[in-house]
Amino acid sequence: MSRKELLSKIGLRQDGRRAEELRRIRCKLGVFTQPDGSAYLEQGLTKVLAAVYGPHQVRGGRSKAQHDAAIINCQFSMAVFSTGERKKRPRGDRKSTEISIHLHQALLAAVKVELYPWSQIDVYVEVLHADGGVFPACVNAATLALIDAGIPLKEYVCACTASLANNNVAMVDISNQEETLGGPVLTVVALPMSAKIVHMEMSQRFHLDHLPKVLNLALQGCKDIKAILDDVVRQHVKDIGSSTGWSQTNRKQ
Amino acid sequence: MTKPLICVPGQRLCILDKTHESGQGTYERQGYIYSSLAGVVDVVDKDGVKVVEVQSTGEQTLVPTQGDIVTAQVTILTQDFCKCVIKCIGNTVLSRTYRGILRREDVCATDKDRVQIYKSYRPGDVILARVLPITEAHTYNLSTAENELGVVIAHSEHGYPMVPISWTQMQCTKMYTKELRKVAKVVPENMNTKT
Repeated sequence: MSRKELLSKIGLRQDGRRAEELRRIRCKLGVFTQPDGSAYLEQGLTKVLAAVYGPHQVRGGRSKAQHDAAIINCQFSMAVFSTGERKKRPRGDRKSTEISIHLHQALLAAVKVELYPWSQIDVYVEVLHADGGVFPACVNAATLALIDAGIPLKEYVCACTASLANNNVAMVDISNQEETLGGPVLTVVALPMSAKIVHMEMSQRFHLDHLPKVLNLALQGCKDIKAILDDVVRQHVKDIGSSTGWSQTNRKQ
Repeated sequence: MTKPLICVPGQRLCILDKTHESGQGTYERQGYIYSSLAGVVDVVDKDGVKVVEVQSTGEQTLVPTQGDIVTAQVTILTQDFCKCVIKCIGNTVLSRTYRGILRREDVCATDKDRVQIYKSYRPGDVILARVLPITEAHTYNLSTAENELGVVIAHSEHGYPMVPISWTQMQCTKMYTKELRKVAKVVPENMNTKT
């Protein structure tokens, strides 16, 4: 296999995956005790921690509070050791600010903010290891943390990347290696159950004819990720429930 | 006991019709009831209508709304208002407190002009209060202008618990000194349900 090829002749990628295969996703809910909800997510080698505080009273600038909805405050930061070259500062640079804003948009589509007027929900995301697809991993981790915090969501919000290899084959879940080898990366944040796209971003251009193919694969990736997260959440609810003897759920009967 | 039915956010639970209603932890969309929490499905029968609810496994997140009865502790007194921290909403103990403010004109229902804050509350008192309409974002306005609202638990300046002896006075259980408070007429809970 040549070093430069994104997809070999037999249809394998640099890391041995097939074009439509996701990286391994491992995740865990409730990793911290201090926040109201937290989650850890590993997507391949990309490792992300998310913590959710709230809903609580608005702090700081009081003009921000809304009378009919909660505000979501997102903070994205990358650990200084997360990338190959040591970062100077973990947050506050242009890229982090941009991702924070995108994360805010993505979560706003799923969280039922109208239930908590005059309040604020804080979402903190920390990247421990960046290996491509950092933003999608953050969205997925934030979703899990929100579920753990018991904040009402319309449904899961999942994110996935897709790219185009050899100018005709679509690939899903792009790793850092593939990102640096080149090729356009399409990031899609979606509500997989109602098949709505919340946010879409493209790093380079490619011919419009390829867009449906790549977009469909990215959406399929979102659905696959949703299925994985679903299993984890169900298992988590079952574990919590059986360890407390379903006490909180049966108190009305 | 049957096995609990686990659901996740966005899961369709049942059709929305005359016999099924969406309750806590669920929402309606296009004629169906969907779950908005990860937890266990619970169907409560209310007047022949089945209310579908989802009970979350974690603690419940609650925000004070207008009209709620809250339990608060007084922290700071001034001439015009006293500041409190809200510790409970109804029967639910909050994991995180909220800041509240009780203005002088909201202490009593009658004789509003002659009310003096330091003759009604002292720091450390536990009070029952009602949440007023929210006008500013950073704090909740409270009111005790009802007979059932006011001081419930208080300590005298010597540090001993006090018992109410009238609408406006409480007495120390040890030193028998009298102090002024806006006393709440505490109604036992089982009396409320009968009326």
